[in-house]
Amino acid sequence: MVRDAFAFYHPIVNIVYFTAVIGYAMFFLHPILLGISFLCAAVYALLLKGKKAFLFGLVFMLPLLLFTAAMNPLFNHQGSTILSYLPNGNPVTWESVLYGVAAAGMLVTVIAWFVCFNAVITSDKMVYLFGRAMPALSLVLSLALRFVPRLIAQAKVINKTQKGMGQKNNPIKTLSILVTWALENAIETADTMKARGYGLPGRTAFSLFTFRRRDGYAIAFISFCAVIVFIGAAVGSLRFRYFPTVQYHPASAVSVLTCIAYLMLCAFPIIMNMKEALHWKYSVSTV
Amino acid sequence: MEIFRIDGLTFTYPTREIPALYDINLTVNRGDFVVLCGPSGCGKTTLLRHLKPTAAPYGKKSGNILFEGTQLESLSAYNAAAKIGFVRQSCENQIVTDKVWHELAFGLESLGLNSSVIRLRVAEMAYFFGIHTWFYQNVSELSGGQKQILALASIMAMQPDVLVLDEPTAQLDPIAAGELLSALGAIHQKLGVTVIMTEHRLEEAFPLATRVVALDGGRVIADGKPREVGLRLREQNMGMFSAMPTPMRVWAACCAENDGDCPVTVREGTAWLARKMADEGISSKQCEPALRTRINAPALTLHDIWFRYGKNLPDILKGISFTVHYGEITAILGGNGSGKTTVLSVAAEIYKQQRGKVIADKKVYMLPQDPQATFIGKTVSEDLRLIKSCPQEYSRVISLCRLDGFLDCHPYDLSGGEQQRAALAKLLLAQPEILLLDEPTKGLDAEYKRVFAGILRELADAGAAIVLVSHDIEFCAEYADRCVLFFDGGMLAENDTRGFFGGNYFYTTSANRMARTLLPHAVTVNDIIRALGGDAP
Repeated sequence: MVRDAFAFYHPIVNIVYFTAVIGYAMFFLHPILLGISFLCAAVYALLLKGKKAFLFGLVFMLPLLLFTAAMNPLFNHQGSTILSYLPNGNPVTWESVLYGVAAAGMLVTVIAWFVCFNAVITSDKMVYLFGRAMPALSLVLSLALRFVPRLIAQAKVINKTQKGMGQKNNPIKTLSILVTWALENAIETADTMKARGYGLPGRTAFSLFTFRRRDGYAIAFISFCAVIVFIGAAVGSLRFRYFPTVQYHPASAVSVLTCIAYLMLCAFPIIMNMKEALHWKYSVSTV
Repeated sequence: MEIFRIDGLTFTYPTREIPALYDINLTVNRGDFVVLCGPSGCGKTTLLRHLKPTAAPYGKKSGNILFEGTQLESLSAYNAAAKIGFVRQSCENQIVTDKVWHELAFGLESLGLNSSVIRLRVAEMAYFFGIHTWFYQNVSELSGGQKQILALASIMAMQPDVLVLDEPTAQLDPIAAGELLSALGAIHQKLGVTVIMTEHRLEEAFPLATRVVALDGGRVIADGKPREVGLRLREQNMGMFSAMPTPMRVWAACCAENDGDCPVTVREGTAWLARKMADEGISSKQCEPALRTRINAPALTLHDIWFRYGKNLPDILKGISFTVHYGEITAILGGNGSGKTTVLSVAAEIYKQQRGKVIADKKVYMLPQDPQATFIGKTVSEDLRLIKSCPQEYSRVISLCRLDGFLDCHPYDLSGGEQQRAALAKLLLAQPEILLLDEPTKGLDAEYKRVFAGILRELADAGAAIVLVSHDIEFCAEYADRCVLFFDGGMLAENDTRGFFGGNYFYTTSANRMARTLLPHAVTVNDIIRALGGDAP
């Protein structure tokens, strides 16, 4: 994976950011907001996954987008501008076509955000974030992440072994011995945990993450933008209605401000990456 | 200053009548490096487990164990966890979490240290053990050797006063085992930590040890510096002498009672051998052993085998061709990742090669590295009866593999060596004539290796073709008829055993390394002993 400046922020910054952008992406159907969110998600995914993986994703996304956009007018007949009629007599309306495009855009945007989410929030960040809420849970997660792959690997080993010994595959016996194996090993692991002081009072939770000042600034910035967007949306400056006729709130100072805040919010990781790239270029040129 | 004092420790397991430990009196001083040795079942592991309160076995116990002057039972849970580090055999089971860094921190989290202290200690240990290069990895991506180093490092992060290790290298290949032992040497030398360990690789452990304690039948039979213990064991003519380092064995077989110092390392052994040969006027020509020349029908032929695990993965086998004959034990040697295990799996048709041909005369049977994976029954006898055979055959195989006492046990309750025997028995019931064995001597002690080799030889003499993949150079040198060296998915050398080891420089037995300039064809301990005119056991 490409080095991503945003991924180096504290996991709390990451999770706050993704909660905000994914949350908003699921609610806004306003074409400008959708466009901002979609563009940012796509560019960020491109940065994270590289060109090849991005193009590969696009091959799946485009048909999904077209399909969803095309399906809506076939089943949704609201709206007042009739374009034509379907063979069964139902109308195809201009509004439902627009709405279909918007809904498809939203679906693809949310998927793109989740692609970014998966790349940034790795399993150890997830474990850490859970651990903030419940320390015991984070250890259980860590144990499980270690144990499940081992169990699967052992099942394969047993099957191969039986084959090598000229035995037929015996799924019931294999499962039974696998359970025994898991219990045996769990006991020894539990012993090791005890030997290393597990169960002593006052256990702490260590993590590699430290909350630095810039993490605080980042959270402040993200929250600030998110609040402006929220207020802007709450006062109705970005109302957009599809049915029965397309109607929207005319552009105003508030709506422009809200859009800018939304752009700043969604593009935050991209801005950080650009800043780092420029910074790097600049510092290299001085060497 | 004494760190452990054991007074009159006698211990009996429940359901057993004979004590596992009998009147043990032992004092371990601060800064000692103690190696406990003895045959399987001599009580060395039982003794070791008594030193760690959470690992102590259940049973009837009398006598006292003092740790730094306090009764071990009254030691606080915090001190028991922090001051006595305990490392086990299994590299898999003693790793708790999924990330390397989290594993290093686990014990420190339990002790309730704050993040900045943990950060420092984890970093220190990562540097000391060279873990910093794989610090962020998942545990599942590590090799066995790395896992064991990680287990050791995560104990060391807790800064224990004493490190107790139960055969830490049993599951490792020789290179990884050497690395682990030298890490232990560094811990002992540079950090001054007291080390108490059981080990069957005495060849490498002896030079590190400041003290060796030999146990047999639950009693201490020798205790002292490695040389002194060697001397004492020779006087008692113990069977476990076969586990001692090569120079000591040669010395013991060829020397009169008080013939100078007993050599422990290869370097000392070479010096001693040169002196001895000069004194007695033995010329190097006297060691010209006969070669075994026997050519039987081919049992298994691999022809130009190419194999890789996935479409985009690198080739593991690159055009391997070789033939295995009936009545012969063939050993495949080579480093990790050289394709040894893979070639067996392809020959046994567990994997299908992408190119090339496997021509097997009869069905090929393969015993994997981990004997545990062969068992699917609830008891040993149930497991064996999954293979159809006649009653005479059952009893023959059971006695051949010495399983009489274990038939009603769960296979997982057997010790490593016993599991290996039970797995072999299961394989033998199918009356295989072509056997492939993957690392069959891993975790076996010197005594049982001899027994195991006897079983293999018996099978080969009865006409079976046996192929074993092994890291155990000494074992292959002693018992194989032919050796093959693998490197990077190809075959580098193939020769009869003597020619093979006689020509190698590093990849050879310690007997050969010790005697190579003096007795060029000596490969095993017995070769040297015979050349010196002694009685080979």
